[in-house]
Amino acid sequence: MERIIVSFVAELRNCGIRVSPSESLDAVQALGLAGMEGRRLSRQLLRLTLVKNVHDIPVFNEVFNRFFSRYQSIDPKADIPDLLDAALIEMEGEFSYLNQVQDDHDDGGPLLKFDSDINPEDLTELKSLTEIDPDDTDGTEITVQMKGYRGKSKAPRPSRRFTQNPLTIELNKSNPVDRGITFTQEEQAAMQEVVSRMMLRLRKDMKRMKNNQNRGKLHVIKTIQKNYRHDMVPFQVALRRKRREKPRLVVLCDVSFSVSHASRFMLLLLHTLHNQMLDVRSFIFNREVAEITDLLANMPVNDLMEVIDTGDIVDLDANSSFGKVFLSFKKKYLENLRGRPAFIILGDARNNYDEANDWVLDEIREKARYMLWLTPEERDTWKRGDCMIETYGAYCDKVEVVKTVEDLGLFVEDLLRDIYADQAHPLDRKRLREAKEAEVYDSKDYYTRGRTGDSQPSFDPAGRSGW
Amino acid sequence: MITEQKVKEFLQTGGYIADDAIATAVFLALRMEKPILIEGPPGVGKTGLAKALSSALDFPLVRLQCYEGIDEGKALYDWEYGKQLLYTQLLRTQLDNYLSVSADLREAVERLSAEESLFFSKNFLVQRPILRSFLSEKRSLLLIDEIDRSDDEFEALLLECLSDFQVSIPELGVIEAKRKPLTILTSNGTRMISDALRRRCLFLYIGYPELEREVAIVRVKFPDLCEDLTRKMVEFLRKVRELNLRKPPSVSETLDWAQVLSILKATQLTPEIVANTVGTIAKHQTDLQKVTELALQELS
Repeated sequence: MERIIVSFVAELRNCGIRVSPSESLDAVQALGLAGMEGRRLSRQLLRLTLVKNVHDIPVFNEVFNRFFSRYQSIDPKADIPDLLDAALIEMEGEFSYLNQVQDDHDDGGPLLKFDSDINPEDLTELKSLTEIDPDDTDGTEITVQMKGYRGKSKAPRPSRRFTQNPLTIELNKSNPVDRGITFTQEEQAAMQEVVSRMMLRLRKDMKRMKNNQNRGKLHVIKTIQKNYRHDMVPFQVALRRKRREKPRLVVLCDVSFSVSHASRFMLLLLHTLHNQMLDVRSFIFNREVAEITDLLANMPVNDLMEVIDTGDIVDLDANSSFGKVFLSFKKKYLENLRGRPAFIILGDARNNYDEANDWVLDEIREKARYMLWLTPEERDTWKRGDCMIETYGAYCDKVEVVKTVEDLGLFVEDLLRDIYADQAHPLDRKRLREAKEAEVYDSKDYYTRGRTGDSQPSFDPAGRSGW
Repeated sequence: MITEQKVKEFLQTGGYIADDAIATAVFLALRMEKPILIEGPPGVGKTGLAKALSSALDFPLVRLQCYEGIDEGKALYDWEYGKQLLYTQLLRTQLDNYLSVSADLREAVERLSAEESLFFSKNFLVQRPILRSFLSEKRSLLLIDEIDRSDDEFEALLLECLSDFQVSIPELGVIEAKRKPLTILTSNGTRMISDALRRRCLFLYIGYPELEREVAIVRVKFPDLCEDLTRKMVEFLRKVRELNLRKPPSVSETLDWAQVLSILKATQLTPEIVANTVGTIAKHQTDLQKVTELALQELS
């Protein structure tokens, strides 16, 4: 029995479920206690002891069915020790059960045989050859989506957000429903995950500096109250708490056709952040600029995406003009920006040969704590055509290429860290900066280090427990 | 010997209708003496399971409600500071006598430090829930509720308690549990719980129950509601859950609604009744509308 469990655990690990040795011991113990009558019971026992995450349950079920499928035909009344002996003989050779599974479904399907001397590395390689499920890549791989424009006979309507990769288009030809505008449940959940992980990391650092942050003037009354038990000898000192400000952000987001795939995720990120901790004012622009802060806060994000997509807020069919946008932003909103916000612009800086008006950025800069520019374009295309990023970039603290949601998340985290560090006590500030430099590896990849890159989904939902 | 079937039966005597997975988990937790970590949406009976178990097994229930900032002083033990101070004051004369024998200051300090353990003994220890359940003479049921609301530090603190059922107190040494309590942790999944903690527990996910079980649950709690109406009500609620609401109604809402319907002495489900009582099942403005619309579609 132990050997079956061990190879079952090995198979689970192969499929990305983390099972520790002590958990396999638990499984063996549980099976010993409760017996193995019936498939249902054994499945429950194994699931209770081996799976520790809601999201792993479907994978577990699949592996369980595949792994134990060959036991189905065996008469349940057969003697259990005999059955186990038979099983043990069959288990010789690590992957021989795969042979068995294939044999079961051998009617006309593609014939794939594994030799027993095949090793796990070969298997993972094989896995990478399988077709990529478009639903899995849709969310994160913005780069892939960009390629979708090439080689198409007819360009899609500019005001329709285009977020599918070529494969999906092929698949959806018979079914012309455009499903690229709104976010799927998984995308929203994945974004929640990125943001909550980010918050966790941030909060940990913030906690470290909390004590020093409290440092202010002596709070006389509280000190007396606190030291009542010491006969008023002030052993413990209570200090006044300093008010901590929320970091303020102002985001200008280009929603024109050329960057819509990136801005779409920026909007989702903002929407998710908005509910958490920040004071964000969000604007979208194409040729004109409009504030959507209230909409983001009060509307479900998918509805908002649809509204933006219809062009009701800003006209999407016009050519984008950064110069015009900056000018009208200055006229309408610059006056009432408060509290030195960090200013983020997302766009490709393709001005369609309009007037640059880069002097406006200089004025915005005076009001802003930081000024950052995010572009989805690679650095080597910056000088081509109507791209003004060199001109505009001169006014910014940083110009970053952001292509995936992870990039975006890391970038925003970095920014928030900087803002917090600015408000922090000098001692903490030094420590925060040092911590940032010392951060050599990402805690995220703790479990996956040393594995081949392909086996890891780009958006790792493992370890998540929200639904 | 206890079996899952028996677990199921005596849970039913405690008024809790369990499915196979729950019964197996409880059975294993009792036999393997391991904690159960229960996850699931709010209101599906995670805490209810613990309560039912404690009454059915006759284990005293020790409940620890987690919140942000909970620490060992609130969960494990604390020193009774005031009492220590009071005792030193009251024993001052005795102490004087005791110390006056000593020749010099050095000897006095030595004499005093020999008696130091007197003031850090169990007399001055305040038992908080976890320690209390460990020291209880009878086997108890320790419920650590909504563990996801606590911080990482607290989670780390629990690791020792949950894997070895012991508490280390620096002044007293390691205190082991007299009877290992049946431990149940619940989580709503608002925060990621570390793998270290998960590893030490059996993991049980309780989702929304199947139709038959939910009907049975309502029947147990409100036997005077007619069966036909109960079934209709549960079927309707199952459709509501598929509406993609902000807060889908769970079992506790089902029970609330059943109570409301039995108070109103309703005999059948009409759109009017749903519209009047919709507040018990939907908890957001936008949800209210969706539910009433569904009622118009389905029930008229």
